[in-house]
Parts: sequence; C-alpha cells; structure tokens
Amino acid sequence: MATEYVKLVDVTKCDGCRACMVACKNWNDLPAEPEEFSGTVQSHKKTTADTWNVLQYIEHENGKGDLEYLFRHSSCFHCTDAACEKVCPENAISYSKFGTVVIDHDKCVGCGYCVQNCPFEVISLKEYKDKNGKEYKLSQKCTMCTDRLEEGLQPACVTTCHTNALEFGNKDEMLAKAEKRLSEIKGKFPNANIYNPKGVGGTHTIYVLTEKPSVYGLPENPKVPTSAVVWKDYAQPIGKMMIGATTMAVVGAFITNNIISKRIKGKEDGGEGHE
Amino acid sequence: MIKSVVSKEYQELQKQIVALQEKWKLQLDPESIRPNLDQAAMEAGVPAAALTAINFDISLFLQWIDEVNTTLINKNPELEPKLSNIHSLLNEETAIRWIEEAFSLNHVFFIHFAQEHGIEEWIPQFLAETALRPYLQLIAEKVQSEIHRAIPGAGCPVCGEPVRVAVLEEEGKKVMHCPRCLYHWHAKRLECGHCGNENHETIQFISIEGDATSQIQVCDECSGYIKIIDTRQYITKPSAALLDLKSIHLDFVAQEHGYNAVGEKKETN
Repeated sequence: MATEYVKLVDVTKCDGCRACMVACKNWNDLPAEPEEFSGTVQSHKKTTADTWNVLQYIEHENGKGDLEYLFRHSSCFHCTDAACEKVCPENAISYSKFGTVVIDHDKCVGCGYCVQNCPFEVISLKEYKDKNGKEYKLSQKCTMCTDRLEEGLQPACVTTCHTNALEFGNKDEMLAKAEKRLSEIKGKFPNANIYNPKGVGGTHTIYVLTEKPSVYGLPENPKVPTSAVVWKDYAQPIGKMMIGATTMAVVGAFITNNIISKRIKGKEDGGEGHE
Repeated sequence: MIKSVVSKEYQELQKQIVALQEKWKLQLDPESIRPNLDQAAMEAGVPAAALTAINFDISLFLQWIDEVNTTLINKNPELEPKLSNIHSLLNEETAIRWIEEAFSLNHVFFIHFAQEHGIEEWIPQFLAETALRPYLQLIAEKVQSEIHRAIPGAGCPVCGEPVRVAVLEEEGKKVMHCPRCLYHWHAKRLECGHCGNENHETIQFISIEGDATSQIQVCDECSGYIKIIDTRQYITKPSAALLDLKSIHLDFVAQEHGYNAVGEKKETN
C-alpha cells in the first residue's frame, strides 16, 4: 500500500458553510438535487447517489437550556473493514492503495447489497438508462476523490474548507492531530471524543466530535454485519465453487448434446456448416 | 502533480540533483558568505548575490562537478564518453572562471568553451550552474528574513533569475519562488512580476482544462508571463525547482500564446 491517508473532520471548527458540498459536486460533476423545505436548515436529509456529502445541521439541546446547531460534514467513512466490500457479490468494491473504498462501475450490477449493509447509510443506487432505453442501476458514493489522490492532490472538499475543519494527510499525523485537538477542547466539551470506530477496523474519515456519536446520528459501535462476514468469507467462495460445478455440468452437457446432435444431423443431411 | 509532461526518469534525476545540492549546501561554511545588503543598490534592483562576498571553495566545487557527472552517468550510461574527459579539463583556474561566468549567466562563454574542447554544448553550463546553486541557496537562506520585496523587472532579489513561479499558499497568499536559489517572497495577487503592472484590464489568466492547480498569469503590457501553482491542493509540497520542472507544459502554452519568460522593457520617454 502506498501512504495511507486519513481525512480528519474537526466539527468544532466547522461553520456550516457547505462549501464542501459544492466542491464535491463541482469536482465529481454531480447534478444539483433541489429539495423542498423540510423545516430545517439542512439541505438534504442524507447522502444520495448525486450528493456524496451532506452538511448535517443537528439541533441539539445542550443541557443548559440552550439550543445549538451541531455541524457535521457527513460522507463515506472509507472503513478499513468495509461492510460494502464484504457483501458485494461482484467484487466491484475494493480498497485503493490509499486505503479508500472505491466502486468499479464496470463490475457493479446495482444489486444494492452494499446499500443495505453500510453501517453509516452513505451508499445509494442511481438509475440510468442505456441507449436502448433499458434501465439499470449503479451504486454511488464518495470516492475520497481517489482520482485526485492519484494526482497528489487533496480531496476537493478538504481543499475548499476555509476554516480548516477538514484536513487531509498521513494517517498517523492526522490521528495525532485529532488527539491533540481533543485535549484542547475537553474542557469546553466534556463529552468530546474521537470517532474512529474499531468495529469496522477504524475508518479513513475520522471525526473530532463534541458530543456522543449518537447525538450526531452516528452508530455508537458500528460493526460489519455478521451476515456480511458469513457471506464474503464463507458463503461466497462456496457459492463460486458451486457455480463452477454447475457450469462444468452445463458445459459437459452441451458438448455431449452437441456431439450427439451433430451425429444425428450428419445422418440427416450429410454435412454441416450451411453458412 | 503526479502526471507531468516530463518523464519519470528525468524527474527522478532532477530530484537526485536537488538532493545533492541540499547536501552540498550543508558542507559549506556559513561564514564563507558575507552579504552586504546595500539599500541603494537593492533599490536599484541589484541582486543580493552580487552584493555578497563569497569565499568559493574550489576543491569542493570540483568535487561537486565530479559528483554530478557520476549521477548523470549512473542514470544514463551513454553519457559516459561525453562526460569522462570533463575532469581533466578543469583546474583551479578554469573552475574560478566557470563560477564567475555561471554567476553572470554568460552562456556565450560556455558555448565557446564547449566548442573549444569538443564537448556537447549543454554540458559546461549545466555542470557549472548545478555546482554554483548551493552558494546561491545559502545566500538566499541567509537573507530570507531581511529582504521582503522584489523590484519589478529585476527578477529574483537574491540571484537575479527572472521571476518564473508563484505558489498560492494559505489564505490565497501569492508567494513567488525562485527555482534557482529557492528564495521566496510575497507578491500582490494582481501584479505583473516582470514590469510591476497592476492594471486588472491588462493582466489576464490562462488556465488549462483538466489542470486543477495551475494557471498562467500573463501581462499585456510587457508580454511577460509567470506560472501560478495552487499548492494548497497538494498533499505534499514539492520544492520550487521541481515545481518549475513539472509545470513546464505551462511554459509551452504561454509561449505559444506569444508571451515571454522575461517581460519586455517598457519604452519610457
């Protein structure tokens, strides 16, 4: 693996400007998704196939009788043990050399297992039409701008962040930064914590949060679903083996049938290859 | 910028040379350089290096040239017959001459030298310049905190190299970087580094589709251009010399559009 990178999101520095959302749309060429007003400042309910990161505005009662907004840049976490990667039956989801989790759209069949199994609900299916008008679906999510990383550039959202709430760099360096920041804010935010959940082997987007993860709508202890582990590590290889066996049987049958039918054909018209 | 019009091998070679220069700079005695920053001369655009008394270590200079030769031959063994006789051509006297002429960028001298000794034209100046740079870089390091601005048209305040590259740093600050001596200084966002023009109507920017980090600032007053690279987007920031090399495609684009690396002097009445 090349250098493993981490995106560090320090929510205490975020001012909710949503430039990260715009930068993401801009770089990844994603269409706008106009939304009806739903009684909150937050623009979209959650990430979608065309909106890979959403700035959450959480209305939080802080215990002193004050209502405050908690901002969180939410997008794919790029888990070290990614459930989406585990459940994908086509091996369309893989880890890049930077540690990011990416979808190969040539392999994706749009089955939606990844959407079902993502502990953070950041993957979505998008419907497309091919030139014959046939509909098909593909999984879409944040790529951590892997195409930019390959060019030695930081993700678009990080580049645009004007308060440095988003930072990007070497994993160790970012983890150290997170620890340092946590110690600085502990006095002001007693519930502050670093969100880098172990249940998914740690993530490549880590957070410095001011409140418990659940306040931000994040699972306290996300896990790769057992069914996913069973699927990827046990069932799927066996499945593949069985496909192999049945395929061989079919091919075998085809050859035998063909020989027999040829023989019959030969008897009937005395030759082959009409065309 | 990982993709570049410059081949990986050549970038690798340049990286090695930059590393060598860094190493050589550390071999120098800091006391061998005594800048004498005369304010009046600086105001007139005389580069700091020309106002500095330098105690050149000739044996070190010769040793460095040998080291560059070895590096070049290691990278490209075909160069061996072309470079092997350089060592015998250099003695203390020629080395001093080389330093002086490289200092004043006298390419005519080096072309003559090459013709006289039957070596390829690029070799003498390339070697002399490469081995001279550690001195310039040491001067730049020493005066970094003392000079804060450049005189338009005079090039780099330390070594006199025409301004070539600017990078955008935090909060969008434009910082000029000299790829020769690595000196850097702040500049106005809307100012031609060659002629000092600040008219927004005659300063334009050329950007290249698909190149998210760079633009060319061109001046219609003096027909000069500089390259501006937004290194805020980079994960790791390369040195100015490598940045200049990797962005060489911008020089082609600018020159194809009729702009020059050195601005034309305005005619004054």
